[in-house]
Amino acid sequence: MAPVIEARGLTKRYATVVAVDELDLRITAGEIYGLLGLNGAGKTTTIRMLLGMVRPTSGVVRVLGAAVRPGAQAAWSRVGYLVETPAAYPELTVRENLAVAARLRALRGSHHVDEVIERLRLTAYAGQSARTLSLGNAQRLGLAKALLHKPDLLILDEPANGLDPAGVAEIRDLLRELSQEHGVTVVLSSHILTEVTRLATRIGVIHRGRLVRELEAGDLTAHLRQRLSVSARDLEAAELALIAAGFIPIRSAADDLVLADARAVREPDAVATALVAAGCPPTRLVVEQDDLETFFLRVVEA
Amino acid sequence: MINALATEILKARRSHVPWVTAVAFTVAAAVGGLFMFILQDQDRARSLGLIGTKAALVGGEADWPTYFAFLAQTTAVGGMLVFGLVSVWLFGREFSQNTVKDLLALPTSRTTIVAAKFVVALAWCLILAVQLVLLGLLIGAVLGLPGWSGEVAASGVAMIAATAVMTMLLTTPVALASSVGRGYLPGVGVMMTAVFCAQVVAALGYGQYFPWSVPALFSGLAGPDRVSPGLFGVLLVVLVGAAGVAATALWWRNADQDR
Repeated sequence: MAPVIEARGLTKRYATVVAVDELDLRITAGEIYGLLGLNGAGKTTTIRMLLGMVRPTSGVVRVLGAAVRPGAQAAWSRVGYLVETPAAYPELTVRENLAVAARLRALRGSHHVDEVIERLRLTAYAGQSARTLSLGNAQRLGLAKALLHKPDLLILDEPANGLDPAGVAEIRDLLRELSQEHGVTVVLSSHILTEVTRLATRIGVIHRGRLVRELEAGDLTAHLRQRLSVSARDLEAAELALIAAGFIPIRSAADDLVLADARAVREPDAVATALVAAGCPPTRLVVEQDDLETFFLRVVEA
Repeated sequence: MINALATEILKARRSHVPWVTAVAFTVAAAVGGLFMFILQDQDRARSLGLIGTKAALVGGEADWPTYFAFLAQTTAVGGMLVFGLVSVWLFGREFSQNTVKDLLALPTSRTTIVAAKFVVALAWCLILAVQLVLLGLLIGAVLGLPGWSGEVAASGVAMIAATAVMTMLLTTPVALASSVGRGYLPGVGVMMTAVFCAQVVAALGYGQYFPWSVPALFSGLAGPDRVSPGLFGVLLVVLVGAAGVAATALWWRNADQDR
């Protein structure tokens, strides 16, 4: 299948600073691709290069089959985007701001604006000037501009910014529906891991400008490390007993013992037996898994 | 182009800036009328407290040619500020309000958007010049200024229109500065610098070689003994205007939009 987005060797340097470094990206139709990274990792610069707003120092980008370069706008009628914080003309109403966007996209009739206002639940604010919108509604207006023309590709930089939890869930459902029912390809960036993992079908971890890991969302759990956490009344005796039984306990900051080796995770009953036999039975024995943040920090620090 | 023009017109229509510029030109026409009123009878003006008891206003006769010349000179100097404000607002606002990013990846090209902004700027400035002429005619008629003839009126209006177009052309670098500097202040800075330098260079007698002095010289602001800017001066103005438009369009097309 021809990729919707294809970037090869994408690099952006500002004097001595390398914002994006030799980034390769291949995103196919219908995917929801989450670009995950800390603040300053290079996500926004990457998105701006995909949209032709920033010219790469080296490398090439193709969007919907068209090369992205200055003056080339073949693809943009099929692309909707939201870059960083949403902006709107403050003296214009929500409806007028959308009408401006519709005009510049050469959309005929007012039904495009009406539909997107309803879809983004902006009806109550349609006649309100943009300067009076809350941050959440300004974000909805930004998303409405991106969705106005029913694009084949959506590129969204931090789409959940400013939304309350209900709004985040609503936008997540909307993007999932667009992808699953209408085949829209979605590329979104975020520094919020849980948000990306709940929505994306594939995740790219970007750190210091480099794409350090790509994984299918379904494979994520396989990458999360497990460990056995053990508490006992006499922790020192328990530690000695476990060492004698061939395990490698580590005293944690929470004042319990952590066993990260595969055998301990696979056979917690053997750990319990060893402790009981040594006269210091466990008061707590739990198999724990990396949380997503731990996984993410492990990946970027590797 | 029609779509881009329609959006620029909507944005301008919903802003307060057109009203601010219209008020500025109304004040300019009224001040011209005040001068004519004082020049008509300076003793009357003194008795009304419009000028001090020992003050005397010099600057010509209270007649139509003088009034038209005053309006043209106002367009040359005030126009640089007011027309400059139009350019600063049209271009600088997109960066100050961060709306520029919504104009960069569209089926409507960036060059078309820039062109639409310049067309609106030109139309806006011409409307202001028309407003100045109409107010001038009204005020002059109310004051009963002498020296009216079709020829005087035609040459007076032509001088104001030509000065307005030249002044507008000289504000295209202000649009470039507002774009490159990504906001209002760089444009205002360039505008102020141009006005200041125009005065200094004209005073030194080299105004015909400095484009920003040309409209003032053309309108006779420097006095009848000063050299007329001539075709060379007008050509310089046209070159600055064209270069400003081209450089702004190229910058929008090619520069990294990373803020």
